[in-house]
Amino acid sequence: MLFQQLINGLTLGGVYAIVALGYTMVYGILELINFAHGEIYMLGAYLGIIFLGIFTAIGLTEANLPLALFLTVLLAVFFCAAYGFTMEKVAYKPLRNAPRLSPLISAIGVSLFLQNYVMLTQGATDKVFPSRFGESRITIMNGEITFLQILIIAVSALIMLSLHLFRKTRWGKAMRAATQDKTMAALVGINVDGVISLTFCIGAALAAVAGVMVAAYYGLVNHFIGYVAGIKAFTAAVLGGIGSIPGAMLGGILLGLAESTGAAYLSSEYKDAYAFVILLIILLIKPSGILGRRSEEKV
Amino acid sequence: MLTLRAVHASYGPIKAVRGIDLEVHKGEIVCLIGGNGAGKTTTLMAVSGIVKPDAGSLFFKGECLNGVPAHEVVRRGICQVPEGRRIFPALTVQENLEMGAFLRTKDFSRNRERVFTLFPVLKDRKNQLGGTLSGGEQQMLAVGRALMANPSLLLLDEPSLGLAPIMASKIFRTIREINEEGVTILLVEQNAKAALKLSHRGYVIENGTIALQGRGADLLENEEVKRAYLGE
Repeated sequence: MLFQQLINGLTLGGVYAIVALGYTMVYGILELINFAHGEIYMLGAYLGIIFLGIFTAIGLTEANLPLALFLTVLLAVFFCAAYGFTMEKVAYKPLRNAPRLSPLISAIGVSLFLQNYVMLTQGATDKVFPSRFGESRITIMNGEITFLQILIIAVSALIMLSLHLFRKTRWGKAMRAATQDKTMAALVGINVDGVISLTFCIGAALAAVAGVMVAAYYGLVNHFIGYVAGIKAFTAAVLGGIGSIPGAMLGGILLGLAESTGAAYLSSEYKDAYAFVILLIILLIKPSGILGRRSEEKV
Repeated sequence: MLTLRAVHASYGPIKAVRGIDLEVHKGEIVCLIGGNGAGKTTTLMAVSGIVKPDAGSLFFKGECLNGVPAHEVVRRGICQVPEGRRIFPALTVQENLEMGAFLRTKDFSRNRERVFTLFPVLKDRKNQLGGTLSGGEQQMLAVGRALMANPSLLLLDEPSLGLAPIMASKIFRTIREINEEGVTILLVEQNAKAALKLSHRGYVIENGTIALQGRGADLLENEEVKRAYLGE
């Protein structure tokens, strides 16, 4: 039972962690809580359904499932990155020097817009993921694990590892430098606007992968899933320490584990409430999060 | 090499620079002195493209700098060591130098050797986080980081601020060495005496305009400068 819940929790936690990374990276560089980030994840889920639907219709899914899935994820990543890029240019860049509340309100506006845009174009009812796969199970220690769960955990781990490696590259370092001091980053020749766009694109690309995985995992999506997932990923980012990359990974996994064990041992009715209880406790005890540093006011 | 013509610029809501004309020739050390809030830092930030001038024009090597974004100014050969050093605290010394060389990855090891020769202590601290260095070491890192881009014009904003006298004079010596290697220098300093001694020419800024200008040695002897900035 416990082992089963650990695996369920890791699956969920991996997804939360990937979405939380997008929150934390954007916060790190702009000190903006991008409340529309959850909607990118929702768009990713829809794009996954649309593209896999197309591949199923032309017979590619049946002929070569891994290729169809890979192309689906790739296309969802591409389109979501474009959404993320556009969102920053349209809704946040013009407000770069505005009071901090303005971009936050703009973010809520983008979020509402994207929800309704998807509802109008895709309909208000649940959409079904076009293909069931990875349902073969293996039994370890009385726990049943599906192949899809293993795939989700592996992909999440791979994404976190690649992001870690990316931060050691030239542009990764430029991103870290801009996070620490934007003016100074510009003074050494870093195109800070470019770095910000890159941050949004990477965050959106990660959310797209998470969206497709969740659509496959639950089999159903609607235009509201981004809202709840967004707030949970935000909780994960705050739990780990917003602005901290390892914090977002840790926070996401802890939140996933808390949810699945809570659902199993306490009550599954309150599954969604655990995240918010944890958020409240963290804000009361350690507002800077597990791995977060207390921000110093610059004089 | 660098020409400012009737430049006006604001620092937030404050009109800090109100019509500055300034000239820096190739190979010179030129200093800007003046009290707090005189507009020295804003002038450097306007040259670097961080502050957009409200009026007037800036030229570097004959090309207009107005509206050129900050990272492009670096590509054209102007680097700034800003006030307060502003090293990247959570990057290592090595990574800070890499960021300095962001646009000049080609001659990285040669430029790094040059920086390590000027500041051997940075070599020992290579893998340490920038934020853990002492103030003097941070200043060396800030200068070293700017040199990594191999600039033809180096802007230095208060390089001696907050340093022990012995460290300050080491920084001034190094500025001369860098200049002798062929780098033109525009220096902003509160320490007017040391700055004027070091400089070929100087400008005195008051309330955002040039109040006086002349050879470094002449300004040192100027009665007004003595009274206002040298405390004599």
